[in-house]
Amino acid sequence: MRSTRRAEDIAGVVGLGVMLGLGTLAWQALPPVPTAPAFVGAGHTTPQRGGTLVVHHEDDARSYDPAIAYDEISSMGLKLMNETLLDYTTELEFEPRLAESMPVESADGRVFTFTLRQGIRFHNGRLLEAEDIRYSMERMLHPDQSSPGAIFYEALEGCADYQAGRSEHVRGIQVLDARTIRFVLREPQQTFLNALALNFAAPVPREAVEAMGDHFARHPVGVGAFRFESWEPGLRATFVRNPDFFLEGQPYLDRIVIELNLNRGPAFLRFQAGDLDHMHRFAPTDNLWLHRQEAWQPTLVDTPNLDMWGVGMNTEIAPFDELHVRRAVAFAINRAAWRRARANRLLVLGQPIPANMPGHFDDLEGEQHYDLDAAREEMRAGGHPVARVDGRFVARGLEAPIEVWVGAGDTGRSYGELIQNDLAAIGLTIEIRQVAFPIYLDQTSRRHTVSLFLTGWSADYPDPSNFLDTLFHSRSIHETASENRTFYSNAEVDALLDRARVESHREARMALYRQAEEIIVHDAPWAFAFSNLVTDVWQPYVRGYEVHPVWRPLYRDVWLDLPRVENTP
Amino acid sequence: MSAWREPLLKFAMRLSRSVFVVWVAMTLVFFAVHGVGDPASATLGSHARAEQVQAFRARHGLDQPLLQQYGNFIAGMTHFDLGSSWRDQRTVAEVIAVRLTRTLTLMTMALFFEVLFGMLIGIATALRRGTLFDSFAMGVAFLGVSTPSFFLGLLALHVLAARLRLFPVGGYGVDTLDHLRHALLPAMVLAALGTATYARLLRSEMIEVLSRDHVRMAKAKGLSSMRVVFVHVVRNALPPIITLVGLSLPSLVAGAVVTETVFAWPGMGLLAMESIQSFDLPMLLGIVFVSTVTVQVGNGLAEWVVHRLDPRLRASQS
Repeated sequence: MRSTRRAEDIAGVVGLGVMLGLGTLAWQALPPVPTAPAFVGAGHTTPQRGGTLVVHHEDDARSYDPAIAYDEISSMGLKLMNETLLDYTTELEFEPRLAESMPVESADGRVFTFTLRQGIRFHNGRLLEAEDIRYSMERMLHPDQSSPGAIFYEALEGCADYQAGRSEHVRGIQVLDARTIRFVLREPQQTFLNALALNFAAPVPREAVEAMGDHFARHPVGVGAFRFESWEPGLRATFVRNPDFFLEGQPYLDRIVIELNLNRGPAFLRFQAGDLDHMHRFAPTDNLWLHRQEAWQPTLVDTPNLDMWGVGMNTEIAPFDELHVRRAVAFAINRAAWRRARANRLLVLGQPIPANMPGHFDDLEGEQHYDLDAAREEMRAGGHPVARVDGRFVARGLEAPIEVWVGAGDTGRSYGELIQNDLAAIGLTIEIRQVAFPIYLDQTSRRHTVSLFLTGWSADYPDPSNFLDTLFHSRSIHETASENRTFYSNAEVDALLDRARVESHREARMALYRQAEEIIVHDAPWAFAFSNLVTDVWQPYVRGYEVHPVWRPLYRDVWLDLPRVENTP
Repeated sequence: MSAWREPLLKFAMRLSRSVFVVWVAMTLVFFAVHGVGDPASATLGSHARAEQVQAFRARHGLDQPLLQQYGNFIAGMTHFDLGSSWRDQRTVAEVIAVRLTRTLTLMTMALFFEVLFGMLIGIATALRRGTLFDSFAMGVAFLGVSTPSFFLGLLALHVLAARLRLFPVGGYGVDTLDHLRHALLPAMVLAALGTATYARLLRSEMIEVLSRDHVRMAKAKGLSSMRVVFVHVVRNALPPIITLVGLSLPSLVAGAVVTETVFAWPGMGLLAMESIQSFDLPMLLGIVFVSTVTVQVGNGLAEWVVHRLDPRLRASQS
């Protein structure tokens, strides 16, 4: 009996050893991980018609109704099916799309008149008229729709009356004839043109909406380069070329397939095998690996997001009601160390407007930066000299620990630790408070509640007002649901922002924003820290893909260099 | 008449027990998900204004007291009205029906692999007890039991699909045959745990049965060894296996969440992940409801089959 047991034991150990050995051998014998693209293009230099582009997203689309969808994945499809009066070029200049040209603007900056291009047709074949634009916008603004976009159109005259049911139409949207539409604002506002470039303002045909009712979001009709073919929820969405598209000869692709709900890991494996044509969401390890592969570099681009992150300080709560303490924090944040800690996936920033956006100034006076000596000097000037006690720094009068609020998860924690570490050098004891995102949003927006937090903002549209008015104007302060979460209030900044909002001369407008930003970086309600970097990679046979800073990713103008051929390096 | 009464009574007892289990599960989950966070701001995002949040809460009855919401929810549940998704306007039942078919495809294939391979390995190892083959196979089975399915899934995806190109790299495919081709690898990964469990259980059951008198008798009568094994041994070792099939349904459902996520198989598991991430409570509750009911039905069926197979249980009933 005993000898049998021993024989079994030995057999088990030997068996395990053999398995490990075989496993290692098998692993060695596997074909190598491909370090280069599996396929390359045929070598055409001019755009070719035809082919199917296959891309992915790890989430499902929510809705293909332009009036209500406001997420990245839905927007990927909406930008194929819809067009707006204006859009942005990749340089963030306005570009007329449905409009024949840029609008005629009245001298007081309150009235914008657009003329539509001739012969634009909906996917159902009907000609687009100015009335369709009014109908679509009023549909979106109607309270029953509860569109997240309604907020961007409040400057329209009579918008409030319409939403309250006091008028049948929005007075500020006027149809002059079949091809002319006029927008009248309550007061001059330069940012309004941005609202007309958002998907919310895309025209939809009334007859299709009324025929479909609640199902319009799943059977959308637009005027865009691609027609809706199918959406199998959670699986894939397919779009086919619109032969009647108003731009001659475009689009080039026959079909675009978005594989939905495909996780980053499997998606990357498929991309390597040539089954997917473009990727923009990766697991961090895949992203690092990709950046090290020589053969992928020609079709790999890192672009900063139009977002801005930093450390928010509630200017109404001690000790951050003191200018010197806030400035000390702004100097103490070691932004380069943050970038290293986040594997270079972010772009260091010391001002409120992200790079690549109007209103960002490379030479901004007083741009925030890391300078520990200056930080300690600020603490001393504020009456809190930093001294070394028992091997750690203590700021006089600020011995009590301060909580920093961050989001849940590893990312939140790691930023919490970076803040903790940096502020220890100016003698502040920081405790990390991790909370679920909805709670974080709710609490930081309440007055006199949270004193220190990691905070950020993503552009709705690429205009400085979207950041500055929302985050730093005293008008954005509310008792609850305050977007000005630092409760920063400066009459001079308010005045500059108000003037800039109505200034129609672009240079003069930017000069006003520059002045406002100089005051804001000096007053330091935020320690501005970074924008996120986003990676795009595509197959060598995918051509004409340009990273669009606002609509990422935008596949409308892509063409395929077919037939693709196997890559033999 | 009396021949029907007892089984009917038993069925009624069994049914009420199942209904009770489903009710307890739904109640627990209902209060658990309504206790965390604010569904309105989670669904509408940070840009939503107070009026929008109010409108959302009113539309979905979130402004009522929690107990009243619970009452409405249970009332809906009793006539299988699971409500509508908050994410889009589709009804929960409509979405789940599509997803459930896919998950059941995966689970059926997995169950088939589990039982097939589990029995083959179990029978082979029981008959060759104590040999090197036995130790080796049981070692592999042990590994199967102890490997987390997400790890096994990623390994299989990486090696068998991406590197060796034997299977598609996740996804669902375009037509029926393609769906089945895409289901093979996830089904096998999902089956790994079960295969090992069945193999181990069948082996020990068979070893026990092999030493019983009736087996010795059968051998003494000179029956062929195939006949002895399959008619007299395996059949007697089966009831615990079938009970286990019923009991393994919850772990298959749970495993499907992980496996579907890894392989991007668009079934209920992936739907559960999506609903959790987007705070879609009606959908989440619907999934829990359908899963619990599935498990209850599965267990009931397993009990019934065991009943039919075991002559002693049948005898005690009539």
